[in-house]
Amino acid sequence: MTRSIRILALITDGFGGQGGISQYNRDLLTAWSGVDAVGEIVVVPRVGQAEPGALPARVRQLPPVFNRVGYASYSVGVAATKGPFDLVFCGHIAHAALAAAIAGRLKVPLWLQLHGIDAWTCPRPLIRWGVEQSALVTVVSRYTKRRFLKWANIRPEQVRVLPNTVSDRFSPGPKSEAILESYGLQGKRIMLTVSRISTHDRYKGHHRVLTVMPDLLRKFPDLVYVVAGEGNGREQLERLALEQGVAAHVRFIGRIDDAQLPDLYRTADVFVMPSTEEGFGIVFLEAMRSGIPAIGGNEDGSMDPLRDGTVGYAVSCDNRGELLDAIQSALERPRIGIRHADLFSFSEFSKHCAGLVGHCLAQADHRNEQV
Amino acid sequence: MCGIAGIVSYHYAALDVDRAELRRIRDAMAARGPDGCGEWFSADNRVGLGHRRLAIIDLAERAAQPMASADGRLVVTFNGEIYNYRMLRGKLESKGYVFRTESDTEVLLHLYADKGEAMVEDLRGMFAFGLWDSRKSALFLGRDPYGIKPLYYADDGWTLRFASQVKALQAGGCISRDPDPAGHVGFYLFGSVPEPYTIWQDIRAVPAGSTLWVDRIGASEPRRYFSLARVYREAEAHPLRLDEVELQRFAREALLDSVRHHLTADVPVGAFLSAGIDSGSLVGLMRDAGQTDIQTVTLTFSEFVGKPGDEAPLAEQVAKQFGTRHTTRIVTESEFREDMPRILAAMDQPSIDGINTWFVSKAARELGLKVAVSGIGGDELLGGYRSFDRIPALVRRLAIPSYFPFLGPLARTLGQQVFAGPFTVHPKALSLLEYGGTYPGAYLLIRGLFMPGELHKVLDKDLVLEGLRRLQPLNHIGEVLAPDPGTARSRVAVLESGLYLRNTLLRDADWASMAHSLEVRTPLVDSHLVKRLSPALVSCKAAQAKDLLAQSPTLGLPEPIRARVKTGFTTPVMEWIAGDPAFRTENRAETPMGAHEPSRWTRRWAHHVASVAV
Repeated sequence: MTRSIRILALITDGFGGQGGISQYNRDLLTAWSGVDAVGEIVVVPRVGQAEPGALPARVRQLPPVFNRVGYASYSVGVAATKGPFDLVFCGHIAHAALAAAIAGRLKVPLWLQLHGIDAWTCPRPLIRWGVEQSALVTVVSRYTKRRFLKWANIRPEQVRVLPNTVSDRFSPGPKSEAILESYGLQGKRIMLTVSRISTHDRYKGHHRVLTVMPDLLRKFPDLVYVVAGEGNGREQLERLALEQGVAAHVRFIGRIDDAQLPDLYRTADVFVMPSTEEGFGIVFLEAMRSGIPAIGGNEDGSMDPLRDGTVGYAVSCDNRGELLDAIQSALERPRIGIRHADLFSFSEFSKHCAGLVGHCLAQADHRNEQV
Repeated sequence: MCGIAGIVSYHYAALDVDRAELRRIRDAMAARGPDGCGEWFSADNRVGLGHRRLAIIDLAERAAQPMASADGRLVVTFNGEIYNYRMLRGKLESKGYVFRTESDTEVLLHLYADKGEAMVEDLRGMFAFGLWDSRKSALFLGRDPYGIKPLYYADDGWTLRFASQVKALQAGGCISRDPDPAGHVGFYLFGSVPEPYTIWQDIRAVPAGSTLWVDRIGASEPRRYFSLARVYREAEAHPLRLDEVELQRFAREALLDSVRHHLTADVPVGAFLSAGIDSGSLVGLMRDAGQTDIQTVTLTFSEFVGKPGDEAPLAEQVAKQFGTRHTTRIVTESEFREDMPRILAAMDQPSIDGINTWFVSKAARELGLKVAVSGIGGDELLGGYRSFDRIPALVRRLAIPSYFPFLGPLARTLGQQVFAGPFTVHPKALSLLEYGGTYPGAYLLIRGLFMPGELHKVLDKDLVLEGLRRLQPLNHIGEVLAPDPGTARSRVAVLESGLYLRNTLLRDADWASMAHSLEVRTPLVDSHLVKRLSPALVSCKAAQAKDLLAQSPTLGLPEPIRARVKTGFTTPVMEWIAGDPAFRTENRAETPMGAHEPSRWTRRWAHHVASVAV
């Protein structure tokens, strides 16, 4: 007989939330909802109210509780009164101790999701304890797995990679006349970066691109570097553009509305973000699925969407020559197939999630048998 | 025999198998298999298996690996020997399985088809294999009960790679070189890297007596199918009480049966021979098993020739007694120095031992041998180590203080203050109260190289903290003892077999012999033997147990061998190391190793090995 399980999911935000983690949680919850063995998923979010009709079948999202103490008490209450549960899911490392305590109390396995930089350094002891109680830890990239295992005393087999997905709304298409016109880009070759530009995010590597711009312009005089995103690092980058004598070829276009993003990618010829600290780098997938080549770093999670440089370009970020060569090469073949980016589709993600649910429960059963 | 390798791109986002990488991994093990090499790739290029062959059973090309089943559903790459393969083959043939070769490898394929993962329980031998089941889209990894044959794997989250050697996996070029603190700390504590850890964070050993599945979501946790602690527990629960004559007959039958199985080969099987009871008795049993032409080899050192420490004269007596073709191989200091770079290069993971096995394997290979029997494991099985007396004695005396956990650290701290400056005392003495009262602690005291409290003198402080946290030495040792075998003697037998034998002796025997393309066989390290013999052994005295072995050969061992007090195999290697001017200069700093400790050169050697043999 097929087992029907109930999952208690403690997440920062899911349906009704915004941002990458929220999207990831929605993907995960949606994937679970399609797994036959899953009877119900009770979601306890910190923020975000689900809109009516937005929830997939078998997902019940409770009202958010932002206050930390209130959230902990509420979660414990839900675990105690809305059970029984067969699995506790924790969507953020910050809740690991709470989730571990609940899973321990319920004597069910804990599945912890880690997203990237949050898992790279050792957290305070209580959180570390919570993390190390997990039966399964999913991470978004191989690099994050490696960094996580540097500090976490947990068997490597318990840590699985479950990458971000890329939405179907990113697809190849003609350049957007509206965007070309808005930013004065008609007739230009366009090199694009989409990311925050705060001073804390210097690792994203805008400065690296700006320093190779003079060389690029010698070969591609019509080149324009479009920087999408906002933050307190913008002034510094504008100054650097001036110092490099390339300010006329750089457009800081600020924060872009999410709905405009697919068109922005389509309008660009090359996507570049020589970052050294990406947990995964979904922007690379978005760019490649829009049909433009992507250039990223080769020492962090970027290697996953770039598939070790076999798709797009994975470069040593501080190697100026390598970066320059990659951009030049990409500008010479500004359209690519999207087959590789499609590997990160929701359907693959969903199948993998189903496998992980089965695996997690089988391991728990095995342990119980041994006990 | 052999070296195996494989790559499985199990994750949906993973790249296809890089054939060049698989060949790099495989060919880094060329010495393990000089007789041939092979590779197999699945049609979708998501799985690749590699093999280096040392041909010992069915020397024909038809037995080359990786080997596929007739229907192509199963493919295996296998390292080792299945000694009961003929019996298994007979059973399988009676069920209708058709064989195309005379090899033991093919038995694995049919046995898996017949029994699935439970197949490992039927195997008698030393083995490590990777078997791809295309119907399940899954890889099945298996390793023998004692862990005689090595098997390592690395799972980066997308792709799983496995091989017979850690260094081979690294030669592929796709695995991180992040150090594993537990592996490093473990090496300094025990003198070898305790499995499942390696010195690299991303590489682990498939534990001895375990299997592991890799399917489309990745590697499962290893599942143990054999526990030595459980074997001894069963033996203690159901001891076999026999009178002296019956016991001797029973032991001889069991030992002879093991030796007979270990002679299964299509090439000549020789033997390492020392002046000890274990190797001498095995040579006698080889003769009893019907092998008339036996090539034996004894190692001695130029410094010992004509002196009391020289084992060669006694070994020659044994050889004469059993009518073997015997060779005494003398190792000189200059040969030692000449071989040192090759020894360190061949050492798969740091180890303070293995040099003797290197030279005796070299000698055996010079004589044209491909296979040699070794007496490894006799002391663990038959209670030959002093630890069988010392560990229980320590635990008895210090059990009560161990109930007060603060006493040990307090005594150590006070001792360090009192014995600072010119009056030094061995760190183990200072740790007596802290560790001596429990079996895991006492084992650490007896077998340990460094004590946990002094690791910060030789390793980075953060690495030590993290390594101790991950390894948890006492828990690590204690896990070997689960379930509790029940008596002092059985506990020590399990500890010595599950730790020293597994992590040091067997690992050294593997890398040091394989570097010379020689297969070492260990009839006294055999799961069938221990299951059969242990119910009788638990009810006899330790000294008597060794006599059982000594009296097993029909001709019997020469009296001087039986009367000889156990000394261990002494070598001048540490003196040679100590006398090396370059080594002295490199290790001028005195304090870390303890200037007045008798073991200081062993410790210095460990420090040297840890920095070079990686």
